[in-house]
Formats: sequence, structure tokens, C-alpha cells
Amino acid sequence: MLTNRSKSFWLLLAPALLALIVVLFIPLMTGSYYSLTDWNGNTVGHFVNFDNYIRAFQDQMFIDSLIFTAKFSIVSVILINVIALMLATLVTQKLGKWTTLFRTVFFMPNLIGGIILGFIWQFIFNKAFESIADLTNIEFFKGWLDTPETGFWGLVILFVWQMSGYMMLIYISFLNNIPEEILEAADMDGASPLQTFIKIKLPMLMPAFTVTLFLTLSNAFKIYDQNLALTQGGPYNSTQMTAMNIYNEAFSMRNMGFAQSKAIIFLVIIVIISIIQISITRKKEISA
Amino acid sequence: MKRKIMFSTLALTSLLGLVGCGSSEPDASGDGNVTLEVFNIKTETAEQMDDLVATFEETHDDIEINMTTVGGGTDATAALQSKFSSGDEPDIFMLGGLADAQTWEHKLVDLGETELAKNAIEGTLEGATLNDTVLGVPMNIEGYGWLVNTEIFENAGIEVDSIQSFADFENAVKTIDSKKSELGLDGVFAFSGGETWVSSQFSSNFLAPEFNNSLNEAYEGKELELTYADQMQQYTDLAIDYNAGPLESMDYSTSVEELFASEKVAIVHQGNWIVPTLNSLDESFAKDKLSIIPMFVEDETKGKIVAGPAWYWGVNKDKDQEVIDASIEFLNWMYTDEEAMASIINDFEFIPAYTNFSSEDITDPLSNEIYTYLSDGNTVPWVHNSYPDGYGQNTFGVNLQAYAADQISWDEFTSTLKTTWNNERK
Repeated sequence: MLTNRSKSFWLLLAPALLALIVVLFIPLMTGSYYSLTDWNGNTVGHFVNFDNYIRAFQDQMFIDSLIFTAKFSIVSVILINVIALMLATLVTQKLGKWTTLFRTVFFMPNLIGGIILGFIWQFIFNKAFESIADLTNIEFFKGWLDTPETGFWGLVILFVWQMSGYMMLIYISFLNNIPEEILEAADMDGASPLQTFIKIKLPMLMPAFTVTLFLTLSNAFKIYDQNLALTQGGPYNSTQMTAMNIYNEAFSMRNMGFAQSKAIIFLVIIVIISIIQISITRKKEISA
Repeated sequence: MKRKIMFSTLALTSLLGLVGCGSSEPDASGDGNVTLEVFNIKTETAEQMDDLVATFEETHDDIEINMTTVGGGTDATAALQSKFSSGDEPDIFMLGGLADAQTWEHKLVDLGETELAKNAIEGTLEGATLNDTVLGVPMNIEGYGWLVNTEIFENAGIEVDSIQSFADFENAVKTIDSKKSELGLDGVFAFSGGETWVSSQFSSNFLAPEFNNSLNEAYEGKELELTYADQMQQYTDLAIDYNAGPLESMDYSTSVEELFASEKVAIVHQGNWIVPTLNSLDESFAKDKLSIIPMFVEDETKGKIVAGPAWYWGVNKDKDQEVIDASIEFLNWMYTDEEAMASIINDFEFIPAYTNFSSEDITDPLSNEIYTYLSDGNTVPWVHNSYPDGYGQNTFGVNLQAYAADQISWDEFTSTLKTTWNNERK
């Protein structure tokens, strides 16, 4: 084993550390500095202390986007994990060579970029749903993405479709790691499949939840490209997520310093939520 | 062990990645050869631009041109910003009006003495002139307003030319609406309010007269009065009531490519840039049945459309003199060389902003019509380019959606417009 002080330790760490410093720490530092100024992208005029932060909390649009993002994250995190777990249990059954096919099919949406997914679903909601509505006259298929509610569910459907397959893979690997003998023992004791699932598989999956909840939660919060391609925040900014609000503030309104302060607030929120989530799920982890 | 190997490989690759990002600055080399970096925002003309550049390079052995084309709208501004921030500054780039000119003022060469500035049609330089310094020269003229399908109007028994006031326009809309099923229409308008840039352009009609139709006054304007709010409401309500779908969420392709091109609606709020799209869908459309109806805002009987340069060319001043000279030479050539001029009109389908072009050369009927409006003085400029940054799209466009969806009243709409403007200009 290498000790902390050995030369090769630092030598091996250096490239990654350097990359992290260049692309993470330095931008974070300059970003924090800019958030305290009226930076417009080119020149820093004044140092404004915490005015930008105060303004951010008074910006109704920003607050609305945070609430919308939170709602979106809660709903999609629950849906993604429920669906992913269902898919994972399904494809770990003994289905012969079909399991590989199913796994591939369920995972596939994750390989498509968010922008393209957004346009695909925009087509489905706007054109395909509209055609179905014309043919069947079912009210449900009419005017998708035209109202805040359909915009919200449109985004949730898109994101769930994209992420479920990925989370399924993680669940599969943890499900496969559950020792055969425990399941056998349960079987001998006459546990039903449902009992096995709730009493044995779920507790054994706790480490998986740490990973999947973290991934889905942080991805749901930071979502931008899907949002841009599907609704562009419309109608009337009701489906504008925080990332988009920050981007527009920076590049459309050109209030770079102000946008930077929003970004820092956003960062703090995500960090806090992630720490809470990880510490809670960690505590629930058990070992076999 | 395996993990360690994997880790160091990863680390190595990331290091290599960093090395790859070195800067490159091969601008002016010693042998008199100059490479110009041109940053183009007009994606729709990317191909024509490449052809034009090839022609230029044939006759100018010592100048090479590197054209970068990046998509339209906000993303282009962001791309230009990051290009400058990264130190890889282009030699020639585009400005979208006074706000851009102000942002890049410290980088721009005074083009006032160039042949182009002298040839520019009167008034077209205003959008890139700060403190009497001409920082950009117009790329072309673009005009917009209510584009109409004259055939539908005629079938409904209305002469487009007879519309001489808002009342006439309103009557025409109602007449067409009453014959909707016979004419096979989905609605009268296809106003794509889902695209906030369309709404932002729409607002220019009503804000321009308040600022004496001056880009500069609008840019300096500390206070928004909305003097013509009533006219704006009349037109807005008419469009909302007779739109083929919910105005607040209709997108560009539904509006133009689906409804207007396939003659399911009679009116869209668009400009001459849709002509190539219409041509690609139906060759005879733009030639035979496309026209523009002016808006009656300031004067009840004298209609105006919005027309002017949307984009300006600017030249980077922090470069070697020979690069700057070559940049100006290229821009000059583009609008004065005969071959290039023919290409500007026929391939780019631009409405030229320079007096050395003659109006007979403009073959596209809509472009010709817009050019006539401009030369007759019946236009207002693109004042939405002089709004506070992002105001047209994020304030006007978004709140118009909310108004169209009955989320806010007209009074709330106008008071938001005023307070946001006044706050931004404080």
C-alpha cells in the first residue's frame, strides 16, 4: 500500500488534482468573486458586496424556478427509482436470452443526448399526441406542452424515460450480488417472493439507493438541455428550471455577476440536499 | 493493482487532454499572407457564405478566410462571448445592434471612413453608431410585419391593397374568419407566441414611435410610457382571438412550415427571412401570393412596417494593422464587387443596405416591397434591438404568453412592461 507521504502517491494524484483545480476550483473561486460584482462578461464595474444575493432572493422568477425544479426532482426521483427497481427485478428473473435484450432496450434511451431526446418527445407530444387526439377525440391527448401542467408532466415523462434504464443497471448489479444462500434459506423457510423482496432484497439494496438517489437527485436538479429542447421554459416561463433561469440571466440579460450569484445559491442548495441524502441512506446500509 | 493502472491511465489521458487545449494564434505570418477569422451568426447563409469566401480567395491570393458559423439567437451571443473570453478573438464578427456595439465598443475599429459606411442607405448606420463613431456596417436589410397569403384574401373577397387602417384590417380578419370553412383554414393568424423572439419583434411596431423611431433614443430611453398601448392591445387581441392554436405555445415550425406554407392560415407575423423556407416548400408561393400588410400605429391611415439592418459587421481593433486592412477589404469587396453583389442578391436573397445596389436587381417580390417601404420612409427601425438586454424576449415575450393564456390582465401586462424597463434603465 502507498502511504500518504510517498512520492508516487502524489505523482499519480497530480494529473487528476491538476485537472480538478483547473476546471473546478479555479472557476469556483473566480465565480464566487464575480458573484459579488456587477460583472457583465467583459468588465467588472463595481464591487457590490452581497447585493446580487439579496436581489436573487427577491427575484420571483428565480424562486419560482427553484420551486418548480424541486417539484420536478421529487416526482421524477420517486418515479425513476420505482420504475428502475421494477425493471431490474423483472430482468433478473430467469428469462433466458431475453434478459440481455430487455436490458439493452431499457438502457437505450440513456445513450441518446438530452437535446435530441427533448426534440423526440416534443414531436411525440405535439404531433403524435395531436394525431391520436384527432383520431380518437380523447381529450387527454390534446394540447400537450401548452399548459404548465402538461409541460411539467412532459418533462417528467422524458426524464423518467431517459434515466430509468441507467438506474436499472445499478439495481441489477446489486441484485446479482445478493448471496444465493440467503435467498435459498428464505425459500426453505417458506417465504413468498414478495416477502423475500421486502424483507431481504430491499434491505440488501440500501447501498444501491445511496448511489441511485444521489445520481437521480443531482441530475434532476441540474437538468437543462431536456428543458431547453422540450419547452424552452414556456408557456410563460412556467416550466423554467433553475439552470435555465441562470443561463438566461447570464447570456440573454447579460447580468453575468447576478447570474453567478444565483448559480452559487443553486450550488449550495444542491450540496446541502446531497449531503443530507447521502448521510441518511448511508445509515440505512447494512452488510450481508 | 488493476485499479491503480486504470487510475493512472485515466490521469494520463486527462493530462493529455489539458495539453491539447493550447492556444493557437496564427494570424499574421511574415510572408504577407493573412488569415482572417470571421465569426458568422447567420446559419441560414452558411453555405452561400462559404461559396462567397471561395470566390474571394481566388482573386485575393494573400488573404485566407476562416469562417466560423454558429446558430442564431442567444446562443450565438454566448458563443461570441466565450470566443472572446478564451482569447481566441475573431477578426470580423457580428453585432446585433447598439447593445452589442456598446458591449464590444472597446474592441471595434471606427469604420466611418470606409466606402461601405458612405454607401450605406441613410439611417441604416444608426444601429451601430456610438458617440458619432461608426462601429459596424450593415449586413443587409430585413423587414417584418404581417405577412399574408394574398390568394386567401382574394378568395375571401378582400383586396390586400385596400387595407388602409386598423378598422380595414380588423374587418378583413373577421371576413376571412367567417369564411374559414369554405377557405379550408384552421384560423386567420398563426402567431407563434411560443417563440419569444417573434413577440419581441412584434413589440417594435408599438414601441418605435414612442422613441421617435430612433434606435438611439430607444437605447437611451430611461422611461417607457407605452404611448401606443391601445393600438398594441387592439392588434394583440385580434391575433389572440383569431389564432389557429393557442398563441402562447405555437412554435415557429408549426406557424410557418405547417400552417402558413400549406395555406391553412392567412397571416403570420414574420419577415422576409422565411422566403427561402417557403421557396423550398412551394416554389410559387413567395412569387405569387406573398405580401406584407403594414401596421397602423402612430398614424391611423399611414401604415408602417419594421425594416432595417438586423446585423452589423464589426472589425476587431486589437489586431495587426494588416489584418484590420484585410478585414475591411473583405467587407468592402462583399458589397462592391460585381460578382459578390450578384451573389448577395441572388444567392443570399438579401435586401441590400447600400445605395450602389439598384432596386430593380431585387427579384423577390416581398424583398422588393420591403425595399420600397424603406425608400418611401414608411418603416420603423428594429427598436427591439435597443431594448434593455433580454427585455424583448424575457419580459415582453414571456408576459405576452401569460396574457394570451389569461394568466394576467392587460393592465398587469403593461405595468410589468413599464416597471421592468424603468428598473433596467435606472
